[in-house]
Amino acid sequence: MTEATGVAGLEIASGATFANIQECKLRTEERLQQRRLRFASELFDPDSAVVLTGSWGRREVTGESDDDYMVLFAGRRRRDARPSVHEAADILEAKPPGREAVFGKQVWLQDLLRKIGRDRDTNANLTRRMLLLLESVSVSGIDVHERARRAVLEEYLRAHKDYRPPRFLLNDLVRYWRTIAVDFESKMRDRKGQGWGLRNAKLRLSRKALFAGGLLPVLECYRYRADGMLEYLDAALAMRPLDRIADAFTMHRAIDPAVRTLGAYDEFLGILNDPDKRKELDTLTIERSGSSQLFARVVELGEDFELGLLALLFNDSDLQRRVRDYLIF
Amino acid sequence: MAATLDIGPLDEAGGLLGHHPIGVSTGVFTAHRGLWPDLVEDACAVSSYVVELSALSGDELPGLIAYLRSEPVLPFRYMSVHAPAKNFDESVAVESLCELPFEVRSVVLHPDVISDASVWKRLKTRAVIENMDDRKGTGRTVEELKPVFEGLPEAGFCFDVAHAWSLDPTMELAHALLDEFRVRLRHVHLSSLDNTGNHIPLRPDDELRFADVLSRCTDVPWVLEAMPPGEWASSRS
Repeated sequence: MTEATGVAGLEIASGATFANIQECKLRTEERLQQRRLRFASELFDPDSAVVLTGSWGRREVTGESDDDYMVLFAGRRRRDARPSVHEAADILEAKPPGREAVFGKQVWLQDLLRKIGRDRDTNANLTRRMLLLLESVSVSGIDVHERARRAVLEEYLRAHKDYRPPRFLLNDLVRYWRTIAVDFESKMRDRKGQGWGLRNAKLRLSRKALFAGGLLPVLECYRYRADGMLEYLDAALAMRPLDRIADAFTMHRAIDPAVRTLGAYDEFLGILNDPDKRKELDTLTIERSGSSQLFARVVELGEDFELGLLALLFNDSDLQRRVRDYLIF
Repeated sequence: MAATLDIGPLDEAGGLLGHHPIGVSTGVFTAHRGLWPDLVEDACAVSSYVVELSALSGDELPGLIAYLRSEPVLPFRYMSVHAPAKNFDESVAVESLCELPFEVRSVVLHPDVISDASVWKRLKTRAVIENMDDRKGTGRTVEELKPVFEGLPEAGFCFDVAHAWSLDPTMELAHALLDEFRVRLRHVHLSSLDNTGNHIPLRPDDELRFADVLSRCTDVPWVLEAMPPGEWASSRS
C-alpha cells in the first residue's frame, strides 16, 4: 500500500477534511475519463497531445468551469497537423478559444523550448509554457504531454547547480506570476471591468495556488544534487498544485497552518461550485465590491491562504534561507 | 487622524514579538478610552498591520460604529472588533455590530455573554469565539466551547494563550484547544496575566512557556492585550 501524500496525506496527518477539494478532484477525474474516451477513437498525429489547463490541470473542475485547452505538437512545425484547434474543441464540446488567443492556435513544443526570454517569448508563449509545467493534464497523447513537460524542465535545468534552486526556472516562474498580476489590471481596463469579481477572486486564490504550487517545489531543489533535480521536479509537477502545496507544509511539519491554508481554499472552491455565488462574483464590478458580503468573504479567504503560504515560506528556517537568497534578487 | 502615523516596527523585535503579523488591542490605551482617532494613532505606534478595536463595554460601541462610519483611512491589513462583554443588550449590540464595515474581519465574542446564539448568528463568519480564563464559569475548555461553536457553526476561534495557561500551566489545554479548533483559528490574544487575571505585558518566562503552542499559530495575526514588554520597548529606542 502506498503512503498517502498531498491533500489526502494532510487529511490523514491532521484529521481535517477538505470535502470541496476532494469533490472537485473526483469530478475532474470523472470528466477527464469521459473526454479521454472521446479522443480514444480519433486518429490524430502521433506527436500531438490535447492538454487541458486551468481548473482541469489543478483538478478543481466545478459545475461551471471553462474548458481551457491547448493542442500541442512535439514534432516539426507543419501546416496540416491534426488535430486542429477546432477539431479538438468539437470533441471537447468546448467553447470557442478565448479572445486573448492563448489557446486559440496550435502550440509547438519547439517554440516553448527555444523561445524562452526576450521579444520572441511572447506573453502567450510564456503562458503556454508555464501552464504546461504548472497545471496541465492531457486527454489525448498522454506520452507526448509528459515528454513535453519533461523537455521544458530539461531546458530550464541545463545550467543548474547542486543543492541550489534552479534560477532560470525560478526567474521565469516569478516573471509569470507578476505577469498574471499585471495583466489582470490591464485586461480589466480593456474590458471596462467586465468579469472583475470572478477574475479578482481567482487571482487571490486560484492563480496564487498555481504560483505557489510551482514555487515550493523549485525552492525545495536545495535538497537535491543537480543530477536528481529533473526527476524530482518532473514527479512533483505531475501532481496537482494543491498536492504540491500540501506536501510542502507536511514536509516542513507545518500542519496547523496547512489545515487553515487548505481550509480557506476548500471554502473558496465551495463558493465557485455554487452557481448563484459564482454568478454573483462574475457580475460583480469593482464599484459594487464594497457592498458584497460574498466578495468580502473571498477577500478574507485569499488573505488566509496567503498568510498560510507566507508563514511556511518565512517561518521555516530552511525555506526562509532560500527565500532570502533566491526570491528577491 | 494625523496625515502621517508614527508606526512602530514590531517585527524588529526578537523572540515571539518578531512574529508577523502582530498588533495591539486599543483596550491597552486606557487614557484615550472612547477617543477612537487617538486610539488608532496609539495602536499604529505599535503596529500598522493588525489592530483590535476594543469595545468591551457596551457604551463604547456607538462611538466606534460612528467612527468607522466616517470612513477613516486606516493602514491596518487585519482589523478585529472586540464585542461588548458588559453593559449591553444582546440584540442591540448585534444590530450595531452588523453595521461594521467589511474591513472589520472579526468580531471577538466572550462565550459566557451569549445567551441566545441565534441572535449572534447574524455575524456569520465574522463571529470569533474567545476561550475564557479561570475566573469564568464556562467557555474555557474544549468541552465547554464545543456547544458554543455548535450554536455558531460559521464562527472562528480567538485563542487567548494566557487564558488557557491560567487553567493549565502545563499548556496541555492550550494544545487541546488548538487540536480541536485549529481549522477555525482566526487570531491569537497574547499577554501574560497578573495575580488578579488582568492582562499585563508578556513576561520572559511566559514567552518561553508559550513558544511551543504559538509555533502552531504562525499564520494568523497576534493581538497584544497589553503593551509590548519593556525589553522590547527599550530595543526600539
